Amino acid sequence: MTTLESSPERTAGTRPGVLGVSVPRKEDERLLRGDGQFTDDVDPARVLYMAVARCPYPHARITRVDTAAAERLDGVEHVLSGKQVHQLTEPLGVLRPVPGAPRLPYYALAQDVATHEGQPVVSIVATSRHVAEDALELVDIDYEPLPHVVDVLGALEPDAPVLHPSVLESNLLASTTDGRGEPEARFDEADVVVAGRFRVGRVSPLPMETRGVVAQWRAGARELTVHCSTQVPHLVRKQLAESLRLRESDIRAIASDVGGGFGLKLGVFPEDVLACLHAMALRRPVKWSEDRAEHFRAATHARESVHDYRIAADADGRILAMTNVYATDIGGWNSPFGSAQLSSVVFNGPYRVEDGSVERRVTLTNKTPVGAYRGYGQPEVNFAYELLMDRLARKLGIDPIELRARNMLTPDELPWVNPAGAVYDSGDYARCLRMAAERIGWDAHRAAPRRPRPDGRLSGIGFSSFVERTGYASSRFLAKRGSQFGAHESITLRANRSGGIDAYTGVSTIGQSSETAFAQLVAEVFGTDYDAVKVHVGDTAASPLNTGSFASRTMIAAAGAIRDAAGQLAAKTLRLAAFRLQVPPEDLEIAGSVVRRRDGTDGADGAVPLAEVYRTAITGQGIPPGEDPGLEATAHFEPSDAAYSFGTAAALVSVDPETGEFDVERFVLVHDAGTVVNPKVVDGQVLGALAQGFGAALTEELRYDPDTGQLLNGSMMDYFPPTAADLPPIELLHTHVPSPVTPFGIRGVGEVGTIPPGAAVANAICDALADYGVELNSLPITPEKVWRALNADKGVQQ
Amino acid sequence: MNVEIETTVNGKLVHASVPARLHVADFLRQQLGLTGTHLGCEQGSCGMCTVMVDGEAVKSCLMLACQLDGRHVRTVESLAEDDRLTPLQEAFRQEHALQCGFCSPAFLMTATALAHQGTRPGRAEIRDEIAGVLCRCTGYDNIVTAIERWFAEHPQTATEDGPSEDARSA
Repeated sequence: MTTLESSPERTAGTRPGVLGVSVPRKEDERLLRGDGQFTDDVDPARVLYMAVARCPYPHARITRVDTAAAERLDGVEHVLSGKQVHQLTEPLGVLRPVPGAPRLPYYALAQDVATHEGQPVVSIVATSRHVAEDALELVDIDYEPLPHVVDVLGALEPDAPVLHPSVLESNLLASTTDGRGEPEARFDEADVVVAGRFRVGRVSPLPMETRGVVAQWRAGARELTVHCSTQVPHLVRKQLAESLRLRESDIRAIASDVGGGFGLKLGVFPEDVLACLHAMALRRPVKWSEDRAEHFRAATHARESVHDYRIAADADGRILAMTNVYATDIGGWNSPFGSAQLSSVVFNGPYRVEDGSVERRVTLTNKTPVGAYRGYGQPEVNFAYELLMDRLARKLGIDPIELRARNMLTPDELPWVNPAGAVYDSGDYARCLRMAAERIGWDAHRAAPRRPRPDGRLSGIGFSSFVERTGYASSRFLAKRGSQFGAHESITLRANRSGGIDAYTGVSTIGQSSETAFAQLVAEVFGTDYDAVKVHVGDTAASPLNTGSFASRTMIAAAGAIRDAAGQLAAKTLRLAAFRLQVPPEDLEIAGSVVRRRDGTDGADGAVPLAEVYRTAITGQGIPPGEDPGLEATAHFEPSDAAYSFGTAAALVSVDPETGEFDVERFVLVHDAGTVVNPKVVDGQVLGALAQGFGAALTEELRYDPDTGQLLNGSMMDYFPPTAADLPPIELLHTHVPSPVTPFGIRGVGEVGTIPPGAAVANAICDALADYGVELNSLPITPEKVWRALNADKGVQQ
Repeated sequence: MNVEIETTVNGKLVHASVPARLHVADFLRQQLGLTGTHLGCEQGSCGMCTVMVDGEAVKSCLMLACQLDGRHVRTVESLAEDDRLTPLQEAFRQEHALQCGFCSPAFLMTATALAHQGTRPGRAEIRDEIAGVLCRCTGYDNIVTAIERWFAEHPQTATEDGPSEDARSA
């Protein structure tokens, strides 16, 4: 990996600080020593273990459930079936419902009908996981298989079996249209139109730690303590309260170390509710640790969609209109978070599209529910519009770099509102494009004669330019969409007698380095040492209400809360020290572990240690008249708008024109992350998301058999996330345009890498095989698909 | 059915009675409380549960606890002593070779076992050698860099008996 231009200007303060510095992470020591506490590591006394019987069919009526034999097995303590769950709970809620979608009666255990393979039907608690799983073998469930549909377009056909006939007449859960202008009129008057159907495969976010929950109930105290592997402890508390008919004050949700989330661990799943029900019935702790076979069938999937895209342009390649009509697969139920929504928001990418529209059709199929996954709809549309941009370039004989540059929004056009209402805040899109072209050697490649290398392979270069929405555009925006959460983050800062600052956040640690970045900001704004700040995460009983870690929003929102809380804490610290030193507060500053005079003329008393000021505040002994004891501040902050990050990727591939086999030999990503809190962490986020992007682009796809409706590759043996030996060399370049809409100019960085790999690689292959007229149109891109495209004129089906 | 075993775990002799069907990872986690070893798939694919048995990297979900009789096991908990990370762990920290950290113990033990082989792998070989452990956060680049740096800065690790002993004297 190479990084250029990755030393952003420091933006805050004049004192040397820690903002913009790659300090070692707070999280690392415990994780490297095996001292992390992941959910399965929580081991309360007398804990019992839960296992879940799941529907083996894609669609089936449950005609009989007999658990008598299972209940008789030695060690089995409790069994739940659908009927009891119906009596005891409300259906699961959806945190980010699709606007206009009716609520589906999604209970923790299937009621009369199960709509996907893997849906929970019976749950059992026993003295060990082995016994619980033995008991599953003794559960007798009669199923009457029903007609099923697993193809997303097939599910919308009039003759398709309807999954939820009590609520819907078809499998169209909801459809929404965004747009402006008169795109159809522009298509009529266009010199050239390119159009295509693009299929994006179904993938798994696949965190290395599966889901898990440990529930404990103290009935007399009305206290349900739930350790849960989640990105959103406070939202887990909310959703559990609703499903279990408890008050939120009865529930404490805790997530300490989470072994990867990627959008999957958002909200309450059926098994979370079940573990709580068992624990409440038994008054004993109940643990459920998902196994990988369950994870592939019952944790949420992602991405699957079919996009019908069109671009109208004039003879110079200027885009006149762009439209997308797409079906997105939600699976058998609207999942706890709901399906990806950003395909509609950024459907035009970084391009100036005045007339455009996007229609989303959220479609039910007999497959595992789809939820959020890093990128959240953006990789899907990027694949489609960037392939079409290259087709447009080929059709017009225009250099694809030039075509993109002509259509990209320029810095002086921003802020700009796209046809879906998104406000692109700032940036220099074309600069990233040109940097990528230069770095990959585009001009030389384009000028060179197109002929095979000595090894018989052809080289190609492809590009993908994108914008990425990071964060949410305020709670007003979310309210319009019916979202069950806000756009803010919060923090409580509390000084302690050891001279340190405790920071309390509802954000859990999922690998995003929030403990590190939050501590950096506290240290920077307050003026103390990075080592003096300890961040306590993910406990609803020890943090102010917040939103959670998703949508590349944590830092954007939390930075404002930290800035405000640390500012308040600093002001009071200076007042207390000023009283003690008998000087005006404005003459003092916090520096490391002391409060000192700004002018350096510390008198006989010298500087005051922060620990002393804190003790003064905590005891109230020696504080000025009128000042309250204590040294603590809580702040909430909501950014005014989302920040749009942007960039361009370039891939160099070599392709064997006989077999379709190909290699990605180089991959360049030029990306703007605005102001950077910790460069190493930012690079890490981008590299990690790129790996997931390459997985979805090249090797990962969950495949269902259309005849049986069964998941064909639901195991780690058959599903291929990239290993260390699979990824191409990556060259990372950054620009740093501060966002005007966020504190410190920060842009989110968590998801960007998932967006461009598919389109860049596909465009590179099409470039290499331009003389063969090859067009690609689906993800993942496999050698077989390239071979089929090479032989399309011989009647081989794509 | 239980089986009596005598095994050495992180230098300590352990006598245990284990169910015949208990795999090593569950034994380490549940009976010994060594929760630094994680489980990701329980079918030998993801590598999360990698530990060292008699000096070799082993996926502990594919080995039964009763097979440990008479053998030596090392887990991630054996690396750091008191408050000092070993140079390998320190290289991971300096190179930002971990994010969520769920896979880190497995990579640390894989690298430790690699050193045990007495070779000094290059970057490409490191990539191949660690390909049995998945990471979904980092994209691997920084893990490769950390291991490469550790071998470069501590060449003795390649010839001696594992890194932890020399690491403490380093």
